[in-house]
Amino acid sequence: MNAIASARDLITRNLRQSGILVAFVAIVAVFALLNPMFLSATNLTNIVLQYTYILILAIGMVMIIVAGQIDLSVGSVVALTGAVSAVVVVKNGMPWWAGVLAALVVGLLVGAWQGFWVAYVGIPGFIVTLAGMLLFRGLTYVVLDNISISPFGKPYYDIANGFLNGLFGGYGYDVFTLVIFAIGVVGYAVAQWRGRQSKISYHQSVESMPLFVAKLVVVAAVVMWFAYKLATYRGLPVVLIILAVLTIGYTLVTQKSVFGRHVYAVGGNRHAAELSGVKVRKVNFWIFVNMGLLAAVAGVVYSSRMNAAQPGAGNMFELDAIAACFIGGASTSGGVGRVGGAIIGGLIMAVISNGMQLMGVSTSIQPIVKGLVLLLAVAFDIYNRRRAAALR
Amino acid sequence: MNGRTPLLSLREVSRFFGAVEALVDVDLDVHAHEVVALVGDNGAGKSTLAQIVAGVLTPSSGQLEIDGEPVTISSPSAANRLGVASVFQDLAVAENLDVTANVYLGQELSRRGFLREGEMEETTRDLLRHLTVRIPSVRTPLSQLSAGQRQAVAIARTLIGSPRIVVLDEPTAALSVAQTAEVLTHIQKLRDLGLGVILISHNLNDVRAVADRVEVLRHGRNNGSFAATASHEEILAAITGAP
Ligand SMILES: Nc1ncnc2c1ncn2[C@@H]1O[C@H](COP(=O)(O)OP(=O)(O)OP(=O)(O)O)[C@@H](O)[C@H]1O
Ligand SMILES: [Mg+2]
Repeated sequence: MNAIASARDLITRNLRQSGILVAFVAIVAVFALLNPMFLSATNLTNIVLQYTYILILAIGMVMIIVAGQIDLSVGSVVALTGAVSAVVVVKNGMPWWAGVLAALVVGLLVGAWQGFWVAYVGIPGFIVTLAGMLLFRGLTYVVLDNISISPFGKPYYDIANGFLNGLFGGYGYDVFTLVIFAIGVVGYAVAQWRGRQSKISYHQSVESMPLFVAKLVVVAAVVMWFAYKLATYRGLPVVLIILAVLTIGYTLVTQKSVFGRHVYAVGGNRHAAELSGVKVRKVNFWIFVNMGLLAAVAGVVYSSRMNAAQPGAGNMFELDAIAACFIGGASTSGGVGRVGGAIIGGLIMAVISNGMQLMGVSTSIQPIVKGLVLLLAVAFDIYNRRRAAALR
Repeated sequence: MNGRTPLLSLREVSRFFGAVEALVDVDLDVHAHEVVALVGDNGAGKSTLAQIVAGVLTPSSGQLEIDGEPVTISSPSAANRLGVASVFQDLAVAENLDVTANVYLGQELSRRGFLREGEMEETTRDLLRHLTVRIPSVRTPLSQLSAGQRQAVAIARTLIGSPRIVVLDEPTAALSVAQTAEVLTHIQKLRDLGLGVILISHNLNDVRAVADRVEVLRHGRNNGSFAATASHEEILAAITGAP
């Protein structure tokens, strides 16, 4: 196979995924042309700080959607876990990690509660989490006694606002940031290389060597350019490390673990999964527990970012997270979707919001644009699937 | 019938769906090295029996025995553990997953919770070659396969995890003549390997070609047991209840 044919093959095989990547690059390019500030170090850092919690939610949400469910309660859970953390840290003067721990425990309990109703009582996730949305919002008001609690103070505040900087010294840019990203790039290259080698040893088709190298070079260049931007400003945001660890961890779980395989099977054909010996209820239970945990992480990040817990925190976050998944290629009928796709979907939402803010687009126009993007993304998905079905 | 302990036996198994008597006091023995065909009209209770053996349905009354030991097969994974593998009539496959994932679904090879993809892939490739199934790649999603190819994948599933009893509910229904012949050969291989096979089919020619014994169900009850040498007419009479 020549390079062009194999490139085309690679693209058509991953059309939905690469299509979204192309869209992302195009959107970034448009905003970069419209506003030179867009790709500045300050603004790139801002995008990272502003939208991480949506991306964290999207990771859990995509697993729920792949399993054929939905979770409408995550916004309320973000508020509740943040509130509990604030009571522990601000009101009771306990250390920052006690607040984080309390939030995570509450998240797990919330997840177990919803998982129980979905998996063992058999109520659709839509209903259970619609109830949860109201329930946990109400509980937030109770926990906070209807008022905001602030400020968290230093160590906690740094979770979402802190940077790792100057650890290896600076020369106008932070060496540490560059080193971390370089390690990441090398790790990525090694993983890709090993994946390619094992595919070859099991007689699978792989993209040609020049194309493979080109892909790595492009990824490395973009990543290191981004790292350099961060390094010239304030260094490596702590939330970016959290997000990276979660993204890599959950990509492995969903793509490489037995549990992940079963999530896809349940979403693809619940009946078949059951007949094949997949423990469908367990899968449903644990994806909701997991969502609760990730909502708690998002709750910690958000409360830290705001340096406060507010009764109305996290309002509509569920919609952003769900939109991120569908823009990122998840299928409304379940069984299809990826963590990486949801992250890119979330980034598209983030970049559009940020870009419009930067250009001073009025706040009434912003949700209109986001709504249209969601609609177009799903329309594109359906169009693609029809075409794929017609090709058969 | 010889004096060996059957690999699998059903003793007076009944199953009701509300007022519907899908199975009533059914007895069935399957020995090692034996293919037992189960025939009967639509609604005779064949699939119900298959699902009971596969752990999908529990009997309303009666007893199942494996190697003469009473067992309860409470779930499909319990059936897997007891060495029972099944192909279901409604083809339990996940269209969003690829061939390898479907073949190993529910019995994935793993190390510390993580999939051993390479090994699963290689075994799947060998299995399919063994069954002479032509499939683009073991990484093709099932949504891109024909009905016959899907059926072949479902049959390949039964070879995973070295089962001792295989239940095939109309495994050749969507297959071409050539593929049907392959499946029948495959069933004979299973017998040669020492497995016990329950073959459910409406095609009496297929049945008589591979089965050692033909058991007839009618309205959920045993209605005759025939040697494979029995004539077409005899078996048909038992199926339809003609005098
Ligand atoms: N889940 C169910 N609920 C209610 N009734 C059922 C159920 N499954 C089967 N039945 C009934 O049990 C009887 C036996 O059905 P079964 O599927 O076992 O027949 P079968 O012999 O496999 O028929 P076919 O040759 O058409 O596949 C039928 O009368 C059917 O309507
Ligand atoms: Mg049937």
